[in-house]
Amino acid sequence: MLAMDLALAARSLRQHARRNLFLALALGAVTGLLVLLGGLTAGMERAMMESANTLLTGHVNVAGFFKVTSGSAAPLVSEYPRLVRVVREKVPELDYLTVRGRGWAKAVSETASMDLVLGGVDVEHEPALPRVLRFIDGSLDALRAPGAVLLFEAQAKRLKVGVGDVLTISAPTARGVNNTADVKVAGVAKDVGLLSSFSAFIQHDTLRQLYGLSATTTGAIHVYLKDPADAAAVAARLRTAIADGGWRVMLPEAQPYWMKLMQTVPSEDWTGQKIDVTTADEEMGQFKQFILALRIVTGLLVTILMVVVVIGILNTLAIAVRERTKEIGTLRAIGMQQRKVLWLFVLETALLGALGTGAGALGAAGAALALNAAGIVLPDAVQVFLAMEQLHVVLDPRAIVVNVLALTAVTVVASILPAMRAARLRPVTAMHHIG
Amino acid sequence: MTRLLPLLLLAGALAPAAARALDAAELARVVQVLDDRQRNSGDWKALCYMEAKEKGKTDVVYELVVYRRDADDKQMFLFTKPRAEQGKGYLRIDKNLWLYDPSVGRWERRTERERIGGTDTRRGDLDDPKWVEEFDATFEADEKLGAYDVHRILMTAKPGVDVAYPKVRLWVDAKSLNVLKQQDIALSGRVSRTSYFPRWRKIYSESKKDDVWFPEEMRIFDEIEKGNSTLILIKDVDLRPLEANLFTKAWLESKSR
Repeated sequence: MLAMDLALAARSLRQHARRNLFLALALGAVTGLLVLLGGLTAGMERAMMESANTLLTGHVNVAGFFKVTSGSAAPLVSEYPRLVRVVREKVPELDYLTVRGRGWAKAVSETASMDLVLGGVDVEHEPALPRVLRFIDGSLDALRAPGAVLLFEAQAKRLKVGVGDVLTISAPTARGVNNTADVKVAGVAKDVGLLSSFSAFIQHDTLRQLYGLSATTTGAIHVYLKDPADAAAVAARLRTAIADGGWRVMLPEAQPYWMKLMQTVPSEDWTGQKIDVTTADEEMGQFKQFILALRIVTGLLVTILMVVVVIGILNTLAIAVRERTKEIGTLRAIGMQQRKVLWLFVLETALLGALGTGAGALGAAGAALALNAAGIVLPDAVQVFLAMEQLHVVLDPRAIVVNVLALTAVTVVASILPAMRAARLRPVTAMHHIG
Repeated sequence: MTRLLPLLLLAGALAPAAARALDAAELARVVQVLDDRQRNSGDWKALCYMEAKEKGKTDVVYELVVYRRDADDKQMFLFTKPRAEQGKGYLRIDKNLWLYDPSVGRWERRTERERIGGTDTRRGDLDDPKWVEEFDATFEADEKLGAYDVHRILMTAKPGVDVAYPKVRLWVDAKSLNVLKQQDIALSGRVSRTSYFPRWRKIYSESKKDDVWFPEEMRIFDEIEKGNSTLILIKDVDLRPLEANLFTKAWLESKSR
């Protein structure tokens, strides 16, 4: 029976091919736009989180701030081996952890300078770095040597330095005493998203020396979990465990550590050590807000377009009802029930919606694959905005199916009113209709 | 050699007093004088111009009013130019330095070593020095600095004292005891800043009942980022007592309305 109804609906669509084609194209364009914008947003999010997890954050971070005076703050965790023991004891979901120094310094070359967020790394205990860093020159191994620094491509370009060149790193210690270190560029790696434009790695002892830190002081313990989805629960558990262990623990706040270091923490009236347990999502909180805003803008844009399409559907079906009044009258006269007429009209629109949105999604997926394959390198300004070097659209099949179903559903809902009007036509009136 | 020795002894005896090494007592006196000459027991107000030159950037000129109440160790800067910085201010109370930004209407606590207005100027550059309190002095040499006979003195921060640079080298005019040149040395031993003080002025202070000296011109050169420099000019120094409630957040906020 359904097959028969579908055949009837398809026949009706074919009879008014031009009008229906325009409607299907409009639906396809809206779906394609939704799929592409969604894919682009997902691509930005993935690129940012990948670079964040490489450069700045674990799935969970046990970090903190040390304040010698109320007005000065340093991203430090003293006696970190004790905290490592707490993490190992309380987190059975642990995959591995790394200990990273944290700093903010000015890097000065012969010709230029720039501010860098420094990560002090011990290459020996960084299992993920060799996987994610792609070197243009030099190697990760060279970062084992004291006084070695690893830059990303854009930084090396800006500072006009290459492997073997010397940079001066200048920063105040935790007590505010100015210090410098002459470091040698040990490697230049390919950029990994927006964050690599200002993050660099330095050999951990060199960072300690620069900031005048003891061997038991570091910047953060990056905790990597077997399943990153457990991050929030693990962070909450660690906050409680660390507080129970006698440390002062900061309240969770969705802000990267360097913003807390520069804005929030120096304004707070306390001294000494406070531990800050964060998740990767919290560290990237502002970026997540930006993504959310982008999704809202995309949603608004698609809603506006859908309103236009719905008006088109209402208009098209109103014309169809008017054109097919005689046909409806005949069908009703030979015994077709009102419900059946309603069903046929709705089915016709559903078919049109499914075909239009399906074609739009397929077209968008094809366009996305072509864009990804083309490997389009974005201009610098666009890179900053989109948080990626190359245009990359992430296709999530589930999201595409949801988009297609949602837009088809809107189309079907829009068709109900004109379909009801068609169903309510009296056979005699309909058969006498001229037009 | 036998003829050379008496000549050398004679030359040594005839050498001017300034060219002789300072003994411990003389050194202590010189350092004390450096502190005393610039200290004022009452209030201080001055108009200050800062010109910041940064490599690859447009020069920026700031105009600010500097207020000091040395008795309470209070200090305040109010930016008056350029327009974008107008109303911005720093307030130092009880060793805490606060920055007020009128564009957001918010106070932020800043480190004592804050680069004022993003220039190479530190708060301490516009305050009276505390050499005796914060540093131990070592005499290095007597030498010529251009046409001037100078004492070269190395100041090393006392243990436990928080200062921006752990070592500071001073070139002090042997005759006037004005500091003519200063090198700020980072923890690593690298010279970070070199400052020159070509013009000094004095003004009589009623509260101190003596002259107060100040460098009318300071030229600060960044030795790490070569090419960056800051020129500071101090004008219109006024030592009359300031309003009692001046060093407050409310007062500074009112100036930006």
